[in-house]
Amino acid sequence: MSQGWLPVLTLATSLLVAPLIFALPERAWRARAVVNLSAAVLKILLVALLVLGFYQGRDFVFGFTVVEGASFLLQVDALGLMFAGLSSLLWLATTIYAIGYLEDSPNRKRFFGFFSLCVASTAGIALAGNLFTFLLFYELLTLSTYPLVVHRGHAKALAAGKVYLRYTVTGGLVLLLGVVALYALVGDVAFGQRERLADLGPDAYPLLTVLFLVLLVGLGVKAALVPLHGWLPRAMVAPAPVSALLHAVAVVKAGAFGIVRLVYDVYGISLVHELGLLTLLAAIASVTILFGSIRALSQQELKPRLAYSTISQVSYIVLGISLFGPFGTIAGLVHLMHQGLMKVTLFYCAGNYAEELGIHRIDELDGAGRRMPLTSLAFTVGALGMIGLPPVAGFISKWYLGIGAVQADMSWAIAVLAASSLLNAAYFLPIVHRLWFRQGPAHGRGRWPEERHLGRFETSTWLLLPTAATALFSILVGLLAGVPFSPLDLATFMATVEYLP
Amino acid sequence: MIERLGLSPAATPMENEAALWLVLVLPLLLGVLGAIARPSRTWPVAVAGLLPLLALGWLSSQVAGTTGKSGVVELGDLVLYWRVNGLTLLLLLLTYLIGLASALYAPAYLRDDVQALTWGQAWFWPLLGLLISSLALIWLAADLLSLYIGLELMGLTAVGLMLLPGKVEALVAGLRYLLLALVGSLAFLLGISLMLGAWGRLDLAGLAEVAEPGVLLWVAVGLLTGGLMLKAAAFPLHVWLVPVHAWAWIPVSAIHAGLVIKASFFIALQLWLLLVPEATVAAWMIGGLAGAAVVWGGVKAWRSAKLKEVVAWSTVSQLGYLLLAFPLLIGTDAAVADLAWQGTWLQLAAHGLAKAAMFLAAGNLILATGAARVEGLAGASRRFPLSLLSFGMAAISVVGLPPSMGFTAKWLLLHAALSGGHWAWMMVLAVGTLLSAAYVFRLFHYSFIEDAPEAEFRRVPWPMETVALLLALAALLLGLAAEWPLTLLRGAGDEP
Amino acid sequence: MPPFDELLLAVVLLLLAAATLFDRHLVRACCWFVTFALAVALSWAWLGLVWLALLELVLGAVLTGAFLFHALGVMPTATQPRGLLTHWHDPVALPWQRVLMRLFPALAVLAMLGLALMEVSSGSGSLRPAGMGLLGLGLWAFALHHHLLRRLLSFNVIGTGIFLILMSLVDSRALAVAHGLVVTGLAVALLGTALGALLIRRLEALEASHHVVYRTNGRPT
Repeated sequence: MSQGWLPVLTLATSLLVAPLIFALPERAWRARAVVNLSAAVLKILLVALLVLGFYQGRDFVFGFTVVEGASFLLQVDALGLMFAGLSSLLWLATTIYAIGYLEDSPNRKRFFGFFSLCVASTAGIALAGNLFTFLLFYELLTLSTYPLVVHRGHAKALAAGKVYLRYTVTGGLVLLLGVVALYALVGDVAFGQRERLADLGPDAYPLLTVLFLVLLVGLGVKAALVPLHGWLPRAMVAPAPVSALLHAVAVVKAGAFGIVRLVYDVYGISLVHELGLLTLLAAIASVTILFGSIRALSQQELKPRLAYSTISQVSYIVLGISLFGPFGTIAGLVHLMHQGLMKVTLFYCAGNYAEELGIHRIDELDGAGRRMPLTSLAFTVGALGMIGLPPVAGFISKWYLGIGAVQADMSWAIAVLAASSLLNAAYFLPIVHRLWFRQGPAHGRGRWPEERHLGRFETSTWLLLPTAATALFSILVGLLAGVPFSPLDLATFMATVEYLP
Repeated sequence: MIERLGLSPAATPMENEAALWLVLVLPLLLGVLGAIARPSRTWPVAVAGLLPLLALGWLSSQVAGTTGKSGVVELGDLVLYWRVNGLTLLLLLLTYLIGLASALYAPAYLRDDVQALTWGQAWFWPLLGLLISSLALIWLAADLLSLYIGLELMGLTAVGLMLLPGKVEALVAGLRYLLLALVGSLAFLLGISLMLGAWGRLDLAGLAEVAEPGVLLWVAVGLLTGGLMLKAAAFPLHVWLVPVHAWAWIPVSAIHAGLVIKASFFIALQLWLLLVPEATVAAWMIGGLAGAAVVWGGVKAWRSAKLKEVVAWSTVSQLGYLLLAFPLLIGTDAAVADLAWQGTWLQLAAHGLAKAAMFLAAGNLILATGAARVEGLAGASRRFPLSLLSFGMAAISVVGLPPSMGFTAKWLLLHAALSGGHWAWMMVLAVGTLLSAAYVFRLFHYSFIEDAPEAEFRRVPWPMETVALLLALAALLLGLAAEWPLTLLRGAGDEP
Repeated sequence: MPPFDELLLAVVLLLLAAATLFDRHLVRACCWFVTFALAVALSWAWLGLVWLALLELVLGAVLTGAFLFHALGVMPTATQPRGLLTHWHDPVALPWQRVLMRLFPALAVLAMLGLALMEVSSGSGSLRPAGMGLLGLGLWAFALHHHLLRRLLSFNVIGTGIFLILMSLVDSRALAVAHGLVVTGLAVALLGTALGALLIRRLEALEASHHVVYRTNGRPT
């Protein structure tokens, strides 16, 4: 069965890169870059092969028993593929970005080693075929991101790392307890075997409700659902590529992805609906969306504002899946992808401003559009997408969310959506305004906090390229949403074929 | 349980006992050889260390395919019993691996690190050999007399090894250890005497048959358990452990924390399963002590100022996990007991490997930084990443995060606790995880500090780095390959 | 065997043990211990256990005694003992709460043992009470004394008490195993004493060179 090895290979590309990088000496940055980039490209190819095989109807399954009643299982399904595709794409972009960003800074070996481990865990989360495997990689993600969060090693970074661990380790423990309890209840359940839990009958409903809540708390820590979000803004002390990846795919998304898995593949949407948990989920999501947006308004620095925006945006995914109906599902799933692309762009831009001009605060951005037009353009694209304006990807998500809300008879969700979009506009548009329409150092007023001329263009090519690419992608997935293989296409396929009763 | 322990009459005698004797005696012989040759390089030790593993391979090839073998050794009127089954083989393998790791670590350590007295260096090798041999005897023995001999040999050898550094603090700590070990052995002896007086036999299988519940049995088991728990450093009898480890040589600490205290636990568990298999309430009391051990050890490890003390307190805490075997195995139904059985031995193996690796890596870190205190680790992640990586991987197994063996073991124990509805034990495991994460990440916290003053540091010899790394890797990666040791374990008895 | 002889032996053993444990002068206490070991050997011979008697003579009396005197720095050639520990006085005065706390485990063990022994009816004679007496004395001394050497002495006395109880319990079938136990126990006692003695000497040497008094109870003063 040679096909089972394809997911393993996909996982191994980033997993095995880590020891290789640790083995390379600190000075060998060229060799490290080559290893990193070739692994990232190889991974994209492998994921493409998986997508191709999946569309041809092949099954990719790899598994072995770890202990009695729990097995290590990798399998490929549409949702996993989407997440794997996102992570491999953004890995390449972020690796390029990080090479430029960390030029001449210390501890690069450690950074890239753990960075690869982090991406490997993300791939593992994407390809995991049951909760046990999911848990394995989920915890591995905690471990591999801690060194990245504290990378700078100053007191603030270390304090942030402490908070990060407090949240994630506790969350991981809660998740572990929930998973073990589920295994004790029904045994080893692969994702997609929804009937196993539904077959338990109404007697088990109270128990299942409790278990769902336990699992939700475990996953909600990483997904930064309010009130479990406290670690995320603090973790902003990490270097920009880490924040970008953490927010776009790795940690926050892993939590959201886990919730999607929990609702659709473990419990099944019908069972969750029957348990009456969808309303609760929608309520939590709405609170998180509004809370995140309001807190984002009051942030004076760029990265924390983006962080609170993430808290808000990731909950769109949760809101989407809690709307019982095809459009809500599609919206949730597709936003998984869209939010990643847009948010990563925004963080790249924030990193570019900080590196090139030393800008950390929003009021320092005046007139930066003239000095760094491409970066500012990318930022504008991301910001407009977040607000939900066409043709950027974010529009699609919000459109489907709205229809989903109508379909599910939850019109209050539309109000939440509208309020949040207004808030999004309220905290993003002023930035865009400052970028383009205010006079600043580029017009001869004052000086940039710490200007460096990193490259031939407005900043280093390594930094500029990924920023432009992800911005372009954010527009493309919005424009070409109707084309086969687009995220929307995948999400529609999943929603109609796999997940809905 | 009697089948699982390989003590059922179904076990057949072995045709050729040479392999058995080889497994028992070879470490001692190599130890004596080591005292004569005084290896100062690593490769002769590596070559010699392969011999016991080969002997073990021979032994397991003879046991393969059966549920286990048992037999007797007759010395005049005196009859000693032994048995080999999957569990024994697993424990022997673990002993040899950790023993080998300590031995491989020692030449470079003794050469570079210790301005040790020559007599101390000379005594190290035979004592190490004797320690491994006595451990092998404990795993193989199936009667209380052999167990007593093995236990005392092990205890006295361990005291001897702990005294080798010859520093005042080491001696004072060793003295306390000696006294408590002697008290433990007296309690053990008294317990055995009572059993022998009451039932006239000491073989475990026979005792399990004839022993009848009553005051005498309780007193005897109580005395035996008390003595063993003292030697196992189970809460609240753990006071001797930390000072002893704080001053002992690194390879000695590794094998002591990894194996020696587990031997006492092994004997105690074996006795309970055979003699008082229905003592639910008493087992719960031990479970309570286990919980206290987990919490107290974890908190103390968290607050400790010195690196080795952190590791030593963590041993106290981790032993609590093992003690959970009592309430999970005694008086529970078959499914729970089955899970707990696997989880317990996996936890023993995981902790053995991880703790040995942790001590070795901590030794490397201390050697490199020249500081025994936790704050001395500042900036360690940049300056000696390899030692820190080994330490980290071992620590992950101790915390029980995936993909380590500690995680798999904890999964099994949790599964057992939850499917049996034992919420209290589940809480113990959960609290233990949080506390161990707290003390482990506290160390990492220091190691990532960047703005620390550039202190001078020494290079660690590569054999020491390699041994620690390999052991840590084993602890980390064997978690996913846990099916293999578990198959070995299941071969120990009939399928439940 | 007439009970009177046995009774006499038991009383002699107890008296010697008491002298060993409570003599305030350590060298004299060690002398008492050697006499005690000789008496034990004698009682084994009396019971017809010649091998045990011989072993007790060699391991218990001669070798253990030698190590004890070595620890004290008493040499056959030197008439004056040189060790620092010869003038140590025990028991250290403790508040009564501490005394109770330390004695509690000893009392618990004795009580448990008494209960257990009531269950066993086989065996007879005054050996068992003598063993119990030795055990009690030894435990008492072990709990209240600080000095390592005194604790080693009480350890040896307790061990002997256990051997006596053991021998009074077993019947002829299990004699071989019982012998094995006693021999192992004797060896352990000897090795433990030897280790302790070497330890004391080493500590003294270190104390002399570092000018710190660690006292063998572990606390620097």
